[in-house]
Amino acid sequence: MSQEILGAERKVKAVGGVAIDGAPVAYLIALAAAVAALSFIPFSVILAAGGSFPLSQGIYALVGWILGPVAGGIACGIGRLIGVFVAPHTAGPVPLASVWGAAIASFAAGAMSTAREEGAPRRDWWWIPLSVFFVMEWLLFVGRAVLVNGVSVQVALLNTFVNWSAILLYVLPTRTLIARLIGSRNIAALAAGLFLGTWMIAGLSHLSVTVILYYILNWPPEVWATLIPIIPMENLFRSLVGTVIGTGVIAGLRATELVRPRSALY
Amino acid sequence: MEPPEPLVQFEAVSYLYPRATRPALRNISLDIRRGEFVGLIGATGAGKTTLCLTLNGIVPQFYGGRFFGRITVAGMDTLEHPTGMLARYVGMVFQDPETQLIANSVEDEVAFALENLQVPREEIRARITYVLQAVRLDGYERKHPSELSGGQKQRLAIAAALAMRPALLVLDEPTSQLDPVGEQEVFAVADELNRELGVTVLMASHAAERLAEYATRLILLSAGSLVAVGSPDEIYPQIELLERHHLRPPQVARTFYLINKAGHPTGRLPVRLEDGLRALDSLCAQCTLTPPSIPPEPQGADGPALVSARDLKYTYPDGTRALNGVSLDIRAGEYVVIIGQNGAGKTTLIKHFLRLLEPTEGKVLIGGRDTREFTVGELARRVGYVGQNPDHQIFNASVKDEVSFALRHLGYPAAEIRARTSASLEALGLLDMQDMHPLALTRGDRARVVLAAVLALQPEVIILDEPTTGQDYRGAKSILDITRELHRQGKTVIVVTHHLYLMPEYARRVLVMGKGTLLLDAPLRQAYHQLDVLGATFLEPPQAVLLSRYLERYSAGELRLLTPEEVAACFIPGGVERGSHQIPESVA
Repeated sequence: MSQEILGAERKVKAVGGVAIDGAPVAYLIALAAAVAALSFIPFSVILAAGGSFPLSQGIYALVGWILGPVAGGIACGIGRLIGVFVAPHTAGPVPLASVWGAAIASFAAGAMSTAREEGAPRRDWWWIPLSVFFVMEWLLFVGRAVLVNGVSVQVALLNTFVNWSAILLYVLPTRTLIARLIGSRNIAALAAGLFLGTWMIAGLSHLSVTVILYYILNWPPEVWATLIPIIPMENLFRSLVGTVIGTGVIAGLRATELVRPRSALY
Repeated sequence: MEPPEPLVQFEAVSYLYPRATRPALRNISLDIRRGEFVGLIGATGAGKTTLCLTLNGIVPQFYGGRFFGRITVAGMDTLEHPTGMLARYVGMVFQDPETQLIANSVEDEVAFALENLQVPREEIRARITYVLQAVRLDGYERKHPSELSGGQKQRLAIAAALAMRPALLVLDEPTSQLDPVGEQEVFAVADELNRELGVTVLMASHAAERLAEYATRLILLSAGSLVAVGSPDEIYPQIELLERHHLRPPQVARTFYLINKAGHPTGRLPVRLEDGLRALDSLCAQCTLTPPSIPPEPQGADGPALVSARDLKYTYPDGTRALNGVSLDIRAGEYVVIIGQNGAGKTTLIKHFLRLLEPTEGKVLIGGRDTREFTVGELARRVGYVGQNPDHQIFNASVKDEVSFALRHLGYPAAEIRARTSASLEALGLLDMQDMHPLALTRGDRARVVLAAVLALQPEVIILDEPTTGQDYRGAKSILDITRELHRQGKTVIVVTHHLYLMPEYARRVLVMGKGTLLLDAPLRQAYHQLDVLGATFLEPPQAVLLSRYLERYSAGELRLLTPEEVAACFIPGGVERGSHQIPESVA
């Protein structure tokens, strides 16, 4: 029997709706379903406004690293949209804001991709407008607190530690370092990358949601001080969730023959 | 008469998955003509699923990779047309019906794809009625798919595919998880669609006896290459070719192959039971029947019962009575097989042995102690459980971590964990794979990983629930060979299976369950010949048993033969020899 391949090689392309931005639609559906399912599980209460945070916040970044910015944003947005309807106890005071938070988190995570795959669009500049956007959000948030509501600068900085630390990690070369860690074959480096990366992206997502809520609800200055120890604890928990789930999922995806989305970071 | 035009054409097709170094398909050139019922056979890894997935473009449009050659379906190049369009011509049904059903009712399931294609409402209604009648599910429209049996679920998946009015229906091992009745239902429906509606059928399957009966043509794949194409009457008599490619022929063909080999030419080897029975008539007219001497039934194991059920009744929260007064004793060192149709109560029974369920009435004893006195952790040390789907029991990132997981969490000292893990890996031949991710292994190897993890706990009892499901013949045998070795080491082995033809080499005692009761508890040879009892729980004995029963009209008494080797031995002077005509050790 001949071992030589006889037929002419054909160019393989995804035709029609099989993939979105190089990510198989089936992956989008599966990960959107995971986000929706994790919306049922609360992990912390929302002080003053009531309700609770959903566990799905821990995997928004992971979805972006797996699917890329566009498909990741869509998957998280759809998953969270379903989540706010089927699990209203974690929808928060402004459900649409939480959908936005999910989508922007996954989009920002996906935009970390260096997209080295052949045929992938060059996106290594996407972090720049995103960084400007997040800085503007932080200025709007802290600016209103300090200049309008009289929150002290020190309290505002301590309260937003999660947010500005996330912006710094995203703006500085640490973003690329985290991307490399997530791409590492070393399981410890992968876990470290997932932890730092989830901290960073969850902090950015938190900022994007909180700034909207603050302009709607305008909570009193006393709440700012109360939240100083709580917000980092919550972000720590998100990071642990992202690390535990992400390590298993990425190790499994690497081990199987399943197709790798074009902008995947792993 | 001109042969019908090809519906599918493969022209020198080769395909490599991303990052693969070996083609999953290699130089496949093939036509499938309209109106054919084509069986696709090959061992695990032969490329059957890949070939099926090429037909609606999922390979390579979804998977990527490198593709060579050209495939056309109804004149459409599968690389140039989107899968959505190809799906109108190619209906796909996969191995596990559970993964294909998404809607909340049978009719919604059928309507789903049609709604997505914006088919008018009245047309959808008409098609629902039509396809549910075609798969004999009319009357079930409002049922939730989860309320259907395995065979019904698979028929619903076929109906959903059929609603698209495909020219080609592709079924990838659709019966591997079904009991014999479910398997028969699926084959009968595929046959009816093929003969009465003219739907071309391509079915990948390991069910040799069924393919011999229903397929008009067989395609044999091995390591991605096309090895042989022909009718079942041309392919299945080639026993040596099949064995070389790790495939199992129908038992009737193997029986007559052995008879021929022993010097009684019977002409063309029969591949279907009715042909085999006719051939037996001719053979018995020519030569004398010399039944092999069958050793007496093995004595049951001595000693006190290790696993017992006493008037065990169990009712699920929804009111379903799953067990209805089951009493039994399994002694240390026994190898027991539990058989029965889907829903007979087999899995409910073994879940009680692990205290995953607690009796509604009655009790279950392990080593004389009520299971309610054990914690689940304590029971896990004494009773090991290997489920039907190994992937449900695997969650670590390496084989070694998987095997040592329970030991670590039960607080064993580090040195003992290392020693037990190594011993278990070695026993299952997994030492070379210990650092690999379990998902990188074949399904058969993943099943061995689960078995290794169970063995590391050194349980007295090992329960395997449908361990051969989804395995090819070689994979199924390799798992059962391990159970035989464990049995030899003194373990008590309990296997739940539908694959009756595999068990004579291994099990000694059979528990036949039906409708939540124990219908029969007997030595294997006796149980396999209780056709009325097997029929009561919708089981079919292996073809060799039916041949044996037929031969009894030429014999002075009962024969009670179990395997092709034993049936063939009736025509071999000198009786049964060790080697190719070996009587299975477990029943000898």
